[in-house]
Amino acid sequence: MTDLLDAFQLPFMLRALVTLLVLAAAAGTVGVMINLRRLEFLTDGLTHAVFPGLVLGFLAAGEPGLLPGALVIALLSSVLLTLLQRRGIGDQSLIAILLTAFFSIGVILVSTQQGYSGQLSEMLFGRLLSITDSQITITSVLVALAVLAVTVTWRQQVFRAFDAGGARASGLRSALLDSVLNGAVVLVVVAASAAVGTLLVLAVLIVPGAAARLVVPRIGGAVLVATAFAAVTSVLGLMFAWQLSMDLDVQAAPGGVVALTMIAVYLLFLAVYALVPRFGRR
Amino acid sequence: MSGHEQEPVVSIRDASFNYNGKPALAGVSFDVHAGEAVSLIGPNGAGKSTLLAGVLGTVRHRAARFVVPTKPGSVGLLPQHQGVDRDFPVSLEQVVMMGRVPKRGFLWPSRDDRHAVREALATVRLTEQRKQRFGELSGGQRQRGLLARAIAAGPSLLLLDEPFNGLDSESRDTLLDIVRRLKVEGVAMIITTHDLDLAKSATEKTLLVNGEQIAFDETDCVLTLEQVQRTFDREAVEIDGHTLTTAEHHASEHPHHGHETERAETETG
Repeated sequence: MTDLLDAFQLPFMLRALVTLLVLAAAAGTVGVMINLRRLEFLTDGLTHAVFPGLVLGFLAAGEPGLLPGALVIALLSSVLLTLLQRRGIGDQSLIAILLTAFFSIGVILVSTQQGYSGQLSEMLFGRLLSITDSQITITSVLVALAVLAVTVTWRQQVFRAFDAGGARASGLRSALLDSVLNGAVVLVVVAASAAVGTLLVLAVLIVPGAAARLVVPRIGGAVLVATAFAAVTSVLGLMFAWQLSMDLDVQAAPGGVVALTMIAVYLLFLAVYALVPRFGRR
Repeated sequence: MSGHEQEPVVSIRDASFNYNGKPALAGVSFDVHAGEAVSLIGPNGAGKSTLLAGVLGTVRHRAARFVVPTKPGSVGLLPQHQGVDRDFPVSLEQVVMMGRVPKRGFLWPSRDDRHAVREALATVRLTEQRKQRFGELSGGQRQRGLLARAIAAGPSLLLLDEPFNGLDSESRDTLLDIVRRLKVEGVAMIITTHDLDLAKSATEKTLLVNGEQIAFDETDCVLTLEQVQRTFDREAVEIDGHTLTTAEHHASEHPHHGHETERAETETG
């Protein structure tokens, strides 16, 4: 155990931990709102769409190109997906086809490069253990902006999520609220995917919120539980990855291990929720 | 009742409304004063909901005169369909607090807001249930909860869309009582209904529509056999003593109808 705690004193482990804790704040706010608004599919879409952006940015300018590449593509696809959904042509299969197309473009672009499989893994699961201080700063600033945007509009967002018709009737501007929320999701996806990869972002934004909904009957509690869930499972995931590497000599991508840890704990919540009648939101 | 010296809360002259690009309702002229309730009666598809949406500003209108309250939170709506997710993790109290959101903007609740929520819950008699999850309440309680949300904003005008549909007699009496209390507090109301008995007992005036305005006046004057038949295209209007009731109301809520009732045609003819 002390070995594991010592591990977090290593600078690269500490930086990974700090990044994941910053993302936990997004899980508790942006993630919970994604869950309340049922925007999981849109979020999934954005993370897929960002993937070719990362690749293009990397091809154009190397490491520093990751963030701008992701940002440009994310903004474009966010506008596109929002328009499709508002016009009612946001039929799920169309979006799914569009996203598979985006994703395939990303994979093809990566595959033209040397050392293709290693790079693919890095784009998907990031470089959790080689995050730089400047990446942490950028990630923190973008996540803070996203959390701020959602927190300021929180009560209006909750009203809109609960009763869209009622919110419109009472004069809330739903288009504005949607733009703010989608913008916040874009910020988190972009900020985090450059650092931790697109698949881990998806896990961080969706799994803690869904887990919190299982066990907490009120929104305030859901925010706290989702934040704690993301933080604790991140620490656990990093510890597993460390142990795999040290004790079993398995060099598993830590981003993937963290994502799977989140899902494993979520399944545990689900099992307890199903088996214990008095547990959870009832 | 009020002497109407004050400006009416709603004053509409010769208004027409489109719904999805097609004309839905035309020739509408009526006033609603503070503390007064107006029944809005007409068959399905007559344009009742379009009129409510027009007053709310979510459907466009053309009119010679169109005065409605416009301040945030000044028009409250009790929707007909409670299209809400029963699993949504909010308490009744939090739902009622949503009524204060348009007034507060991005600010968090103040003491005034909490006071308004308490008052609204007391008005609809749900103080004890305030901590319960909204989805756990009964249908009638959820409806009163949404009414409390509308009241909490302190509206000068309330729009109630078919509020009596599907209520048991106890919930209906409670709602009637709440309507009377709100009138005493000076709230103006427009209530859509199929139930002419309720219109007579709860509202001073009645607006009959069917694609166009058929009549608007004191409820007793408007609800004559001839007018109601015109509104409902002569669909089986019945007379129950001196009370007029439409077939739609009877079909949905009184399947075993009393045998004293005579067909309208027999009585008039």
